[in-house]
Amino acid sequence: MSQTLAGWSVHALADATARMDALRADLLRAPEELRSLAAATYAAIMSPGGVASFTYVVILLLVGIGVEWLYWTYAYSPLRAIQSTAPESSRQALRLASRRVGLVVSGLLIFTVAAIGASAAFSWPAGVQELVVAATLLLLVLRLAWTLISTVLAPGRQAMRLVPVPEARAGWLAAAAMSVVALLALGAFLAGVLERVAGAPHAAGALRFVTVTAASLFLLIIALACFGRSRNAPRFPRSFVLAALVVAVYGVWLMSARAATIAAIAAAVVALQIGLRPMVFFFWQDHDERVLPSIVLSAARFVALLAGLGVGALVVDAPLLALAAAESPGLRLVLRLLGVATLALLTHVVWITIRTAIDQRLSRIRPAGPLHEPDEHSRLLTLLPLLRVTAAVLLVVMLVLSSLWALGIEITPVLAGAGVVGLAIGFGAQALVRDVIGGVFYLAEDAFRIGEYIEAGGNTKGTVERITLRTVALRHHNGPLHFVPYGSLGTVRNTSRDWVVEKFNLPLPIEVDSEKIRKLIKKVGEEMMADPELGRLMMEPLKGKLYRVDPGVKVFRCKFRTAPGRQFDLRAQAYKRIEGALRKMEIQFADGRLPVATGA
Amino acid sequence: MRLRRLRLLTGLVLMAFVTGHMANLMLGMHSLAAMESGRPWLMGPWRSAAGQGLLVCSALVHLALGLYAIAARRSLAMSRMDWVQLFLGLATPPLLLNHAIVMHMAGEVTPNFDSTYGQMLAVYWSFSPGYAFQQLGVVMVVWIHAAVGLYSWLVLKPAWTRIGGFVLPLLFAVPILALLGFAESGREVLEKLANDAAWREHIGVNLRRVVGVTDPLNALQAKLLVAYGVLVLAAAGVLAARILRERFARVTIAYDGGLEAQGRRGLSILELARLSGVPHAHVCSGRGRCGTCRVRVDAGADQLSPMSGDERATLARVGAGQGERLACQARVADSGVVATRLLPPWIGP
Repeated sequence: MSQTLAGWSVHALADATARMDALRADLLRAPEELRSLAAATYAAIMSPGGVASFTYVVILLLVGIGVEWLYWTYAYSPLRAIQSTAPESSRQALRLASRRVGLVVSGLLIFTVAAIGASAAFSWPAGVQELVVAATLLLLVLRLAWTLISTVLAPGRQAMRLVPVPEARAGWLAAAAMSVVALLALGAFLAGVLERVAGAPHAAGALRFVTVTAASLFLLIIALACFGRSRNAPRFPRSFVLAALVVAVYGVWLMSARAATIAAIAAAVVALQIGLRPMVFFFWQDHDERVLPSIVLSAARFVALLAGLGVGALVVDAPLLALAAAESPGLRLVLRLLGVATLALLTHVVWITIRTAIDQRLSRIRPAGPLHEPDEHSRLLTLLPLLRVTAAVLLVVMLVLSSLWALGIEITPVLAGAGVVGLAIGFGAQALVRDVIGGVFYLAEDAFRIGEYIEAGGNTKGTVERITLRTVALRHHNGPLHFVPYGSLGTVRNTSRDWVVEKFNLPLPIEVDSEKIRKLIKKVGEEMMADPELGRLMMEPLKGKLYRVDPGVKVFRCKFRTAPGRQFDLRAQAYKRIEGALRKMEIQFADGRLPVATGA
Repeated sequence: MRLRRLRLLTGLVLMAFVTGHMANLMLGMHSLAAMESGRPWLMGPWRSAAGQGLLVCSALVHLALGLYAIAARRSLAMSRMDWVQLFLGLATPPLLLNHAIVMHMAGEVTPNFDSTYGQMLAVYWSFSPGYAFQQLGVVMVVWIHAAVGLYSWLVLKPAWTRIGGFVLPLLFAVPILALLGFAESGREVLEKLANDAAWREHIGVNLRRVVGVTDPLNALQAKLLVAYGVLVLAAAGVLAARILRERFARVTIAYDGGLEAQGRRGLSILELARLSGVPHAHVCSGRGRCGTCRVRVDAGADQLSPMSGDERATLARVGAGQGERLACQARVADSGVVATRLLPPWIGP
């Protein structure tokens, strides 16, 4: 092991030495190369080919500008509408910014496609077309970068800013960031052209050296100036970490360009992980919301990591599929652990999402106890915690199983074993299972809620006081509390829903005028409806009619409709008022005595 | 406003000339001969005494009015389009001077000078390509200046919704086709130079004639350039002096929505808004034509400059009510003005 490490070190050092030598040679030979290049370029420009190329370039510019202008005649109004909207929160600023970027980037792409597409129509002198395409792409990159930087930092427009940067710094931070991008883009495109078209590899190398050095200096300044040492919190200074990252990447670049690209990606990922928390929470600065930003934060961290890995893989041209199939056990273990971590993170996000949703819903429902009126949410109050626990158990089980599977452990026996055990337990706990499942269905079908008076299948009746996983507690009106398992609840007769019809009899002497009594009862009903206290509860007024004639007795049947649970009070009121009205008309209730004729 | 109309008119004359010139170049896509045969039709009228007089007068008047407009500005609160127009307009005379002098004066200084298209193209493509770059630059500069001017004039017309779809592509097609003609005829000229010895000889003789009079022409050109530079500097100086003089006299105006704009005394409401970053509609860039910048003055109306006839006409045209002003025309003399924007800031032509 130590031998391979030593060998690898020697190899890397030799590479680095070669690279340094090449850099030195580039810097020494570049001036001479540039001089001859300048002479050749001047000669090429001052020739018919040069004139033709310049003409074509002007045409390309006109085509590009024309097409983009045409685009902007349509897109300018929406853009101005976006720009003149004052965002109320950072989240709205983000939405506006994404729309603005969409509009501007479409314009840029249209320009680029039109210009590059039109360049195919001309016969260019050798090498010029590549130069033109490179210049167009450079223009695209620069405008794209400026669009993004000016959108994110929004110098001069505090309300539109998408990162927590004070106004005083936004302007020059944007300028510095743009300089870095411009230098790196110039280094990439121009050096490529110098190498391939002009055949000046040393000049290209020198240019790369200059641009990378200048860009690193700019980044160093940004890191040191923007994330200054905080005097309030005794924490490790971030500026030091960032500056160290920049210096390290630059050092690696001096040794090997390709390794430096990977190091730069890694550094960017690390810097993002350091700075992501304030960036994400910035969007919820006007809220007490803590859970949603946490979800976004963990998702953003994960996405940053994955994007870094993806870009890195693209840069090194790693054959990912071949790598996954490789037989190196260490690598395989790493890949699998990565998979498990991914699963854990996904599970975490799903769990936080479910929990947030349930908790928020629960906190919006006011707590309903046995003394409160039954309301429509009491069912949710019962179901949601149940759902939360079920989701947690399900997620954990799924995470464990899929992690095992991702680690390459055969889970079929585990599943089969769980099946067998489950079967056994299922037989044993049949009644329990029936109760639990039955309960879920009672609740899902909204058969009863806390506070309602129900009569169950047996002889149990009472007000629902508590709903648990297995039983429902019913308080009988005389006091005893019944605990009824859902399995034996049977038919539920719920007397607390919507309305009830109350009927009662009124026996009067046989001599009374039925029509008069009917009108009397109707009048009492109208009076009750007009009463501010009682009328509220009455759904249909009191009415009565002759129902039966017995010897010596006329029985009148009265009925009214009212809210559940109020029928007893209302019936008492109705009796009282009817009795009063009868007394006023000097009619007595039937006394039940039958006059018997004695035949004398 | 009358001056502005004159500037527009002279600009249209100049644009007509440039369009004719470009149309002539387009014929080069067919052949050099076609260019020459089209020349009397397209360029001939401008070479007559009347045409020449009109052209020169228009150019001078347009230039003078442009410089006057710079000198008469009160601030640099201009739209992006106005900046483009300013710089392109200023860049045109020095770039164009050479071509105009050669075409116009060479004929007089050296009789028998042959200023055909073939001759000029041979110079550009073969003998001194430096001039070609200058000419190509001029094509871009002059045409964009003209197109922007025409566009911002036409876009406010009600008819633009109908003709805009044709005019806008045309504004770009003309220079593109002209450049294609230039490139195509250049190739033809190069072939002719290589194959036709007699023609080459003719061109050479002709060129030597011009080279003989290059020095006086160059001297004239230098004098004109210096004079032009002095004029431009004078206009810029007047503007700078005005801005510096009023630097400390600040006024503040209140806007609807609790916004506030601050700036030098004497600026228009629109200029104050633009300097302070208050979003404000201004389709015609403050020329008093479109009426989109109109505001209702809720207080301090007596601190504003009196209404001109043009402002009154524009306000009447857009059906403005009592107490409304064009923000681009109403200049603020003192603080205390409260204005309400009547149109949303994003409104377009």
